Amino acid sequence: MTPIEFLGLYPFQWLAIITAGTTLLLMVDALVGHYRRAFAYRMQYAPTVTGTALVVAALLAAAFPDLPLLNQLLSWAGWLAAATGLVGFGYHFYYGIVIKPGGMKWLLHYLMYGAPILAPLGLTAAGVLGVITARGLAGEHAVFGLVMPVALFLFVTIVLAGAIVQAGILHYRGAFNNPAMYAPLTIPSLAMIAGAWMALAPSTVVRAAFAVLLWMTLLVGFIGFGMHLRGLDREMGGLYLWHVNLLEGPPQGAPGLFIAWAAIGLVGLYLL
Amino acid sequence: MGIRQALRLMTLTAPLHPILVHFTIGLMIASLGADTIGFLFDVSSLADTGWWTMIGALAVTPLTLATGAISRRRIPIEEGPARSFLRSHMALGPVIFGLLIVMTVWRAVFWQDDEFVSWWYLLGLYGVGFVMTVQGYLGGELIYRYGAEVKRAYRKMPVHEADGAPPSLPSSSYAPERDWKAMQKAVHGGTE
Repeated sequence: MTPIEFLGLYPFQWLAIITAGTTLLLMVDALVGHYRRAFAYRMQYAPTVTGTALVVAALLAAAFPDLPLLNQLLSWAGWLAAATGLVGFGYHFYYGIVIKPGGMKWLLHYLMYGAPILAPLGLTAAGVLGVITARGLAGEHAVFGLVMPVALFLFVTIVLAGAIVQAGILHYRGAFNNPAMYAPLTIPSLAMIAGAWMALAPSTVVRAAFAVLLWMTLLVGFIGFGMHLRGLDREMGGLYLWHVNLLEGPPQGAPGLFIAWAAIGLVGLYLL
Repeated sequence: MGIRQALRLMTLTAPLHPILVHFTIGLMIASLGADTIGFLFDVSSLADTGWWTMIGALAVTPLTLATGAISRRRIPIEEGPARSFLRSHMALGPVIFGLLIVMTVWRAVFWQDDEFVSWWYLLGLYGVGFVMTVQGYLGGELIYRYGAEVKRAYRKMPVHEADGAPPSLPSSSYAPERDWKAMQKAVHGGTE
């Protein structure tokens, strides 16, 4: 495996940049969501703190890839973010569903209107990506017992599945009021299947299909950005009253995750 | 009057979005033109121009999007046709940014391998140019039909709607509507 340089950066430097960008998007949505609930629990500050650490560590590792200390820092920040995400998942599950009136009997209701159950796992995914990136920057060719490209393809498959499920729940809540709301359930689902296929039984045809689907998933993310912005403007007052509607409209950073997950797959496909 | 009055009126409140949007469009079209001619006539300097202008278009576009959002933030626009145009314009902005990223990555591959672009790339970029044209049209409708963020109407020449009063300007030395009509009567002779 010979990593290919692209525009002066090696693949794991690109992955470090993607890690930083993804974490930033997750932090924005977490901050907005937790602000909406007035930071009722101190733990609600955690994603901002550990996310900031991961962003800084990832950017430093991208800028100085030869410094082992920074790689180590990225690895620690990655594990910390991953742990924060898991704890957050527990909080969202317990405080968002279990102790609510009706509890698990009203599961679908709380999945739609409670704290987004899979959102904290996004931070876990960003943390794991940070760990993988740190290993790659350290010159390792395998992670968690898998060679790097296979590990990345499986990673993309898993995180796309999570993003699709979360988008599915929230778009169902929105009654799929616009046909474009089906988009994250279609092309990314195919990309997810192609990713798993590529990891388990790679071939030229699957590779080509995976590449096309990843590019399309990336564009779906940008379309989502535009449509979520439009959705925000459909609220009363629109962007003119952005500080109010940002809390009530669709999550502005969420479609960016599709861009990030697709970009990771493309790095694995073309540069590793 | 003249330049001194214009300077006095200048309060640096003009929106930046219409300025930056022309950089995005201009640089992308320049890239398209340079790459097309470079590809057809085998001119390597034009291929370099195509690459660097594409980089310029991509670099300026986040600012274009940000200033667009700032402009939207300033318009208390009510529900209606103008708002529909606005929402479509807003939805298309990030899509164009995404398309520019995809095309720039594709363009970078040619630049890195020191090759001319392909027909497929040019076709794709012409497609992006079409989407950008639609976006420009939507923006044009917002400004020129609905006057979005047009703060004050300019004073029209007397021959234009000679019977009507000009829109009042805060710093105008012209009298308000009733006096303007009286002045017209005094100059041209009243028929009423």
